[in-house]
Amino acid sequence: MLQIRNLTSVFPTDSGMIKAVNGVDFHLKQGQIVGLVGESGCGKSATMLSILRLLPHPGKIIQGEVLFEGEDLLKKPLSEMRKIRGRKISMIFQDPMTTLNPVFKVGEQIRESMVIHGFFKKDGWNGFDFFRRRRKRKEIDKVISLMEEVGIPSADLRYYDYPHQFSGGMQQRALIAIALACNPRVILADEPTTALDVTIQAQILDLLRRINEEHGTGIILVTHDLGVAAEFCHEIAVMYAGRIVERSKTDDIIEDPKHPYTQGLLKSIPRIVKHKQKLYVIPGSVPDLLQMPPGCAFAPRCVYAIKKCKEKNVPLTEIEEGRYVRCINYI
Amino acid sequence: MKGIKILERILLAIPIMLGIAIIIFFFMRLTPGDPVDIMMGKAGMVSKAEIANLRKEFNLDKPLHIQLFLFLKGLLKFDLGKSFTKGMPVMELIKETLPATIELALFAMMFALIIAIPVGVISAVKQNSWIDRFAMAGSFFGISMPHFWLAIVAILIFSVKLNLLPTQGRISYGVELAHITGLYVFDSIVTGNLEALIDTLKHIILPAVSLGSAMAAIVARVMRSSMLEVLRQDYIVLARAKGLPEWLVITKHAVKNALIPTITVVGLQMGVLLGGNMIIETVFGWPGIGRMVVNAIFARDYPLVQGVVMFYAFVYITANLIVDIIYTVVNPKIQL
Ligand SMILES: Nc1ncnc2c1ncn2[C@@H]1O[C@H](COP(=O)(O)OP(=O)(O)OP(=O)(O)O)[C@@H](O)[C@H]1O
Ligand SMILES: [Mg+2]
Repeated sequence: MLQIRNLTSVFPTDSGMIKAVNGVDFHLKQGQIVGLVGESGCGKSATMLSILRLLPHPGKIIQGEVLFEGEDLLKKPLSEMRKIRGRKISMIFQDPMTTLNPVFKVGEQIRESMVIHGFFKKDGWNGFDFFRRRRKRKEIDKVISLMEEVGIPSADLRYYDYPHQFSGGMQQRALIAIALACNPRVILADEPTTALDVTIQAQILDLLRRINEEHGTGIILVTHDLGVAAEFCHEIAVMYAGRIVERSKTDDIIEDPKHPYTQGLLKSIPRIVKHKQKLYVIPGSVPDLLQMPPGCAFAPRCVYAIKKCKEKNVPLTEIEEGRYVRCINYI
Repeated sequence: MKGIKILERILLAIPIMLGIAIIIFFFMRLTPGDPVDIMMGKAGMVSKAEIANLRKEFNLDKPLHIQLFLFLKGLLKFDLGKSFTKGMPVMELIKETLPATIELALFAMMFALIIAIPVGVISAVKQNSWIDRFAMAGSFFGISMPHFWLAIVAILIFSVKLNLLPTQGRISYGVELAHITGLYVFDSIVTGNLEALIDTLKHIILPAVSLGSAMAAIVARVMRSSMLEVLRQDYIVLARAKGLPEWLVITKHAVKNALIPTITVVGLQMGVLLGGNMIIETVFGWPGIGRMVVNAIFARDYPLVQGVVMFYAFVYITANLIVDIIYTVVNPKIQL
């Protein structure tokens, strides 16, 4: 339903081009949850923002396609794009504390999403509006029931609260309500739980899963936590330094990771164990996106790296049915 | 809760006002020149006895600390004393000239905001475009030009060369206007007096623009920088991600946030407009408080100067308080 092909986005800076998204390929099938996993700074948010063409200045998309319901979003005029944002594809952001507008009531911010996409149809004569009050009451009731659906208690009162009166978890629920407002086909969830504590995390993820199951909404779940992705996603794409390095069904990735980076990530998931056990850490650090090595970006940190790895970059290759890996050892 | 906080602020104002009262009292008396001498100098030959009489009448024969005591005692009763030169209570004189000053300040502010807010917003949205550069160069000009200079240039162009606008006063001689509030433009609208309306508007344009231009420049800069700050925020990305058209993102989601710091500046500038317009009022012969106090300073009219300064202090403090109250309205996070 949503297919991303060879997507490449850059941030031109004084010291050079930062390729935040570097030829990314993946897709989201109807009603699925796909996990996009990678370390901080690998370009996950940039990928999500590119899909909606919301990259902040000076970022721009220089290549690729974002096919949604058969059409390339990157070729659409902006006015068309606006009808898709929030209506067909909506986004949930990383930091709920800064994402709600501090000067508007939470309920009004949710209602705005519905109003902007004409979700409340005016019926008949549109001139002087005698029924404005009554219609607004209906709209508010609808927002309140949506707030209840995403688990905001006493929503009828909370409608009139300002964002700072909400806890982080409640703010994220409000943002999910905004994302859900027009019953979109796809939700891009950019680390929806990173800023929240663990118990709230589980609740929010459960809520997303319920939305996926009840509404059939496709979700791209961005996370840096492979454990979370393993639990919630049908498919996982692992991202490293702007590229997808491995992509396949969740079970395959968890049981038999192919790419050395995925293997490293998997080993470094903390587990509760009785004995003191040192956490595995992938040696080395993320490459500077300004000075990318010519070959495989992971080669400097890879234990299996051979000479050829540092010279030549291999494409993402299908090594088995539905399993894609970007590593010379499997070609 | 809110009421208590406001009360606290009002109480806090009392020692400030007291301090200002004492400072202005001594400053006036440290200024060289004696009020009675200046008055008598104008009147020509006068006898010693008459001079002594006047001193007695003005309490100038009493020791300094008694004079200060009398001044402060008067203040407690909101009695600012009697003007030396006009022979009227200072309070009356302020009441008489206040409407002119307020009207000028309001128009100056209106002019400033109508120009500055859109300019600041557009400059930020089109950052580094030629519009932005042009606007910021203009505002730099507006801040750095002294406004009396601007006033004189405006007079030269619009009055002397083009003969379009009057240069002195609030209303032409012979134009009738019923005084209701003392705000002439308002009064002429209320009474449906078209002739007076046009005439008073013509009179107010030049002084209001001269007075408001510096404020416009400052507000435009503040608005621009707070817009730039706001446009980088996550909630702006959310507004776009919701599918809002860009103009709504700007005018609704960004501007309301960017106004918060701007309001402080506008409020303080309102104090400046009410209190800092002596030069403009003098240049344009505008019969307001500013021109009155300038004359009072030259005449060493102690009570009048003291009274007006106390009034200015009061206006500043009130403006600050009002800013804080408005702040709580636009910024839900702040509860005073
Ligand atoms: N406004 C910007 N200007 C310049 N470079 C940027 C900008 N925004 C992002 N980048 C670069 O793009 C890269 C990818 O950033 P992105 O925010 O997509 O990372 P991420 O994977 O979402 O990380 P995190 O887990 O911390 O959210 C970063 O390395 C960063 O250097
Ligand atoms: Mg991110």
